[in-house]
Amino acid sequence: MSYPLLWVISVAAGFVGAMSGMGGGVVLIPALTFFGLPIKQAIAVSIVSVIATSSGSAAAYVRDHLTNLKVGMFLEMFTILGALAGATLAVHANQRVLFILFGLVLMGSWLALFYRRHEDWQPVDHQDAFSHWLELEGSYPDDVTGQEIHYRAIRAYFGAPLMFGAGMVAGLLGVGAGALKVLIHDLVMGLPPKVSTTTSNLIIGVTALAGTSDFLANGLIDPGLTVPVVLGILVGAFLGTRLLLRLPDKSVRMFFLVVLATLSLEMIYRGIRGAS
Amino acid sequence: MRSDREKAERMDVWIGSILGIGVGLSAALLLAGLIGQWVATGHPELHYQLQGTNLFQFWISDIREVTSRSFHPQLFVNLGIALLMMTPYLRVLASLLYFFIIEHNWKYTLFTGFVLAVLTYSLFLR
Repeated sequence: MSYPLLWVISVAAGFVGAMSGMGGGVVLIPALTFFGLPIKQAIAVSIVSVIATSSGSAAAYVRDHLTNLKVGMFLEMFTILGALAGATLAVHANQRVLFILFGLVLMGSWLALFYRRHEDWQPVDHQDAFSHWLELEGSYPDDVTGQEIHYRAIRAYFGAPLMFGAGMVAGLLGVGAGALKVLIHDLVMGLPPKVSTTTSNLIIGVTALAGTSDFLANGLIDPGLTVPVVLGILVGAFLGTRLLLRLPDKSVRMFFLVVLATLSLEMIYRGIRGAS
Repeated sequence: MRSDREKAERMDVWIGSILGIGVGLSAALLLAGLIGQWVATGHPELHYQLQGTNLFQFWISDIREVTSRSFHPQLFVNLGIALLMMTPYLRVLASLLYFFIIEHNWKYTLFTGFVLAVLTYSLFLR
C-alpha cells in the first residue's frame, strides 16, 4: 500500500473519528481493507492508533474535569479482561467472520448514535446501594449554562458485565468500541452525555493497550504502517476537533450516520461474499 | 489541609499531563524516525518487521541501542511505538499512586491495582 494513500486514509479517519467522537478505527479499518490490506493487519495498526487518539483527547478532557476517573477505573477492570479475550480470539479468527462482526458492530454503533440524536439528560433521583458504595458520582462545569452539573451513576452491577463485552469487541476488532461504551454509560448507568463520552474515551486507551500487546507478541505490529497511520490520524483528529466546534451538532451527526450506515453494510457484504 | 475537591482536581491535571506528554513525545519520535529515514535513504517508507515481543523486552532492546549510541531511524520509530504503548500504562500507575498515597481510598487502590496487574500481565505475554 502506497504511503500517500495511507496518509490520506489516516488523516480522513482521524478527522471523521474526532467529528463523531468515536475514534478513528471505525473508518480506518474499512478503508484500509478496501485498498487491499488484510483485515488482521488493519486491525493491528488500528488498535495502536486508537491508543494515540484516545490518550491525546483524554489529556484535554481529564484536565477539564469532564472525565470521571472512578467510573473509569471501576469499569476498566471489566473492559481490560474483555479486551484480552477479544485480542486472543482475533489472532486465530477467520477473516470472513471478522468482516461480518465488524459490520454488525458498526451497525450497533449506528443504532447507538441514532438513538442519541436528541440528547437530553436528566439526573437520577435514586442511586442504588452498589453504585453508591462505589462512589460513582461527580460534577463538572457546564460551558453553556455556566453551572456546575452534579450527577450520580446507577446500575453499576449491570454496566460492569456489559463493559466486559464492549472490551471484547474492542480487542477482537481493533476499534475502541467507543460507541458501545458510551451507550452503556448513557442508557444503563445514567451518566450525562459529556461524562459518558469522555470517560469512555479514557477507558479506550487501556482497552486498546491490552489488545495491542497481544498483537505485538504475535509480531503483527508493522512499523511501516504504524508510523504514517498514527501520525496521520493525530493530524486528522486535531483538525476534526477544531472544525467540530464550529459546526452545528445536527449536521455533524447526520454526516456520520450516513458514513456509518454505508460502512457497516459494505463490511457485512464483503464478509458474506468472502472477499478479503 | 487541601479539600478533597482540590485533590481530585490536581489529580486531573496530573493525569491529563501524563497523557498529553506521552502522546506528544511519541508522535515527535515517530516523526523524527520518518524524517531520518527520508534523509538517509531518499524515501520515507519504512520496511522492517518487529519480531514478536512484549513491551518490556521491546523497551530493553531499545534502551540497549540508545546506550550503545547506535541511533538510526528505526530506533526512533521503535521508541515512539514503545512510548505510545507506555502512556496508558503510566496513567493507570499514576492513578494507583494517587488513590493509595493521597486519597487513602483503599477500595479504589484495589480496583486500580487489579487493572494494573492485568495490564502488566498482558504486557508480559510471550
